[in-house]
Amino acid sequence: MFALIVKRILLAIPVLLVVASLTFVLVRIVPGGPFDADKNLPPEIIANLNAKYHLDKPVPEQYLLYLGRLAQGDLGVSYKYVNRTVNDILADAFPVSLQLGTISLTLAVLIGVPLGAIAAVCRGRKEDVIAMFLSTLGISVPGFVIGATLIFVFAIKLRVLPVGLWESPWHVVLPAVTLAFSPAAYLARLTRASVLEIVEKDWVRTARSKGLSQWNTVLKHILRNSLIPVVTVLGPLTAIVITGSFVVEYIYAIPGMGRFFITAVMNRDYDLILGTTLVFAVLLIIANTFVDLAYQFLDPRMRIED
Amino acid sequence: MEIVEKAKMPVVAPLDQSVMARIRRIPTAYIALWVIALICVVALLSFMGFSLCQYSFDQTSSDFLAGPSGQHWMGTDELGRDLFSRIVYGARLSIAIGLTTAAVAFVIGTLYGALSGYLGGKVDTFMMRGVDIAYSLPDLLVMILIGVLLGRGTIGILIALGLVSWMGTARLVRAQFLQLKNEEFIEAARAQGQSGWNIVFKHLLPNALGPIIVALTFTVPSAILSESTLSFIGLGLSPPACSWGTLASDGWRSLRAHPHLIFFPSLFIFITVLSFNFLGDGLRDALDPRTRLGKKSR
Repeated sequence: MFALIVKRILLAIPVLLVVASLTFVLVRIVPGGPFDADKNLPPEIIANLNAKYHLDKPVPEQYLLYLGRLAQGDLGVSYKYVNRTVNDILADAFPVSLQLGTISLTLAVLIGVPLGAIAAVCRGRKEDVIAMFLSTLGISVPGFVIGATLIFVFAIKLRVLPVGLWESPWHVVLPAVTLAFSPAAYLARLTRASVLEIVEKDWVRTARSKGLSQWNTVLKHILRNSLIPVVTVLGPLTAIVITGSFVVEYIYAIPGMGRFFITAVMNRDYDLILGTTLVFAVLLIIANTFVDLAYQFLDPRMRIED
Repeated sequence: MEIVEKAKMPVVAPLDQSVMARIRRIPTAYIALWVIALICVVALLSFMGFSLCQYSFDQTSSDFLAGPSGQHWMGTDELGRDLFSRIVYGARLSIAIGLTTAAVAFVIGTLYGALSGYLGGKVDTFMMRGVDIAYSLPDLLVMILIGVLLGRGTIGILIALGLVSWMGTARLVRAQFLQLKNEEFIEAARAQGQSGWNIVFKHLLPNALGPIIVALTFTVPSAILSESTLSFIGLGLSPPACSWGTLASDGWRSLRAHPHLIFFPSLFIFITVLSFNFLGDGLRDALDPRTRLGKKSR
């Protein structure tokens, strides 16, 4: 297991390098620099600013400078948030997004897994139809529609929850529910497919024929085995939550990674775009490594291969 | 991961007339099919210049921010433009983006996946490794980054959507080909001395078409969702372009005072996406010989 982690870390370095390089090239070949928006800056000042941030140097040299700093863990400075380094901004924003993401994922698991399991056990019956209808609704409603609806009902009409921002625990409720929607629907569909697969297995019939009640079979034999693939979708789930966080942090004005990423893209804040993208990539790599580890831990058959 | 793929990948069944008959027996899918047909016809008519509304989409009036009424079915926006006309007009862009993306995903994804699956071995490993890494990144993240380069026009969005959407199809086609190419009928075709081209396009592809069509049915709604989400957070299309996403984005700003401006565009995005998802689910069930429709399976 230790060897696997080391192997993963070694593999992650070239992947991150590729992500950093591609993003670097992508943002640099775009016409327009970070100081374009300030229309009334005299050209001398823009030239000075460009010189200060090495933006006047040829792109290959900028690239090497960037990689050099990256190797020391320095993600650079923001061109828009004055006097703030990217490390600084991310240190503030990351915990916010992590909290929001973790709460939403937990919520999604608590809703999605039981919903999918019930649907599969009652396959073809009313419960299945309702559960699958709900999960199709869940993947069909855009995040901003859920967000707007929740804000309209609970914050504007009923006035029981805040409209946005990130201050008290009450501020977490609406964003977390909004963000949980699509992973919950995804998990429900996945759990259903997974349980249906297991239900057909011989040992399930054996358990039933030795007299175990239906619910005991479901809980002790089926669910336990069908949860393996569910645990291992953490990778795609992380991707879904990151995607969702762009919208959710935008509409609720939450100072997290997603919001900083979007404003950075709008402002052409090069280093901040690169920094946030790299953090997202690291998150995904960690999630996928965890999935591999979980596989080995949960399913002994997978261990033989190593 | 295996289960995820399986959930997306139906058992192979040839496409034939019975599919339509089977769809007809799944109420959600059948209704969805008609809803989609209706929306497409409206979009097409609007595209060809037949106006279904008494107002033009950019016709302003002094009736600012009116709520829904007999005169303006869905109310008007801050310039007094009729929202219903704008939604009908926006349908063409939203639907066109969804369908074009599916077409791009079909062409690129099928070619790439077919090549990878048919050749197999080292070429396959090499071709799929890159796709695997790119596929695990969040679509929206990749699209925003590509959008930085391509700008916020319709073409830019289409390229960004096309670039991220073919990978799912490629993986599916490859998996189908790997599974099919060891079947006896392919062996028979080989024994007859048929060319690789013939085997891929006349024997393998038609047999893999069912699952590909199911996957494409899910590509359309996800493209529509992505476009509207991008436009909503201000990184997609921007006015004067008019899609359901930009309309919802406009409406968002006046959520408090004029909720109808975001409600109606959202409703249309939702209905369209929901219909495509139901149709996709229905097609998958209709193409899966394991499900016996109309009978209880237990």
